Amino acid sequence: MPVTLIVEGNASTASRAQVHGEDVWLPLDDLVSTTAWELKAEGVCRGETCVPLSSSQRAAMVRDEKASTWFNFTNFARLIEKPVAIDHETRTWYFGAPGWEWKSWSATKTAPDFTAPDLAGRPHALQQLRGRKVFLLFWASW
Amino acid sequence: MAADAGGRDVVDPWIQEAKASHWTLLDPDLAIATLYSVRNVPSAFWIDETGGIVRANDPIYALRRNPTTGATSRNEKYLNAVRDWVANGSSSKFLADESALEKRRRPASVSDMDAAASFELGVYLLRHGEPTHAQRHFDRARQLAPDNWTFRRQAWSLSGATRATIAKEIRDPAAPAFYPELDLSD
Repeated sequence: MPVTLIVEGNASTASRAQVHGEDVWLPLDDLVSTTAWELKAEGVCRGETCVPLSSSQRAAMVRDEKASTWFNFTNFARLIEKPVAIDHETRTWYFGAPGWEWKSWSATKTAPDFTAPDLAGRPHALQQLRGRKVFLLFWASW
Repeated sequence: MAADAGGRDVVDPWIQEAKASHWTLLDPDLAIATLYSVRNVPSAFWIDETGGIVRANDPIYALRRNPTTGATSRNEKYLNAVRDWVANGSSSKFLADESALEKRRRPASVSDMDAAASFELGVYLLRHGEPTHAQRHFDRARQLAPDNWTFRRQAWSLSGATRATIAKEIRDPAAPAFYPELDLSD
């Protein structure tokens, strides 16, 4: 049965996932397309960022079964302190940002950078306003 | 920054009416609000030319309502503080000191982040036609981060909570403060 994965805001369907309790095992071939993370010799990588794995971590996260290699993405998410929320009935797994990101946001006095769309969908980055004062107001319609 | 899961459709009329000349941005997953440890709206931040936060999480409305007469007026005291900062920059007396900033920017904890994950999963499920499942995750977010009124209020709005439910939660003597105190020196 397929599983819906939401990884840092991007939703995708993993049609060949296996579920054991909270653990989602993905075929290695589908890992990068569903999570943007990829298993390499140097570790688990997303773009320039690589998380090295010890041999025991690798043994717990990677296994061969049914002529495929499988990767336990929940286990990896816990290793890098991604918050996880699960809806078992709809088979939906939500994974937030890794710990090194959310911890650095709150540790710094520098305003965390963001890029957000305006009403027309055009992206605006806080970074573009360096050199000017910014009054940032969060509000809602409710 | 509209921290509103209703997205463009619900915030557009407000922005049109304000005839805003400033950036008006959307944060439909409340992810940027989480990034800034916003626990209720409205919440204002002052960011200086170098990107440093010099005031954080001000619970500020543009209009003030007189509790006796019900009449509204512009919040001149706060506007004057902003004007002072614009004119005087780092020597403005309205910048928050270390300890005030520290208090307002309580670092996110593991349970704050788990609450955000549950909340965002709830929003996703609701958008995909699963309101009953969504409610379970909104409830979990509230248990994990009881002082996050943004999540609570957004969930009320999405699930059509009654006024009675809302009033009961806000008036609960055990409930965390709805807004932080606005400390502005005179």
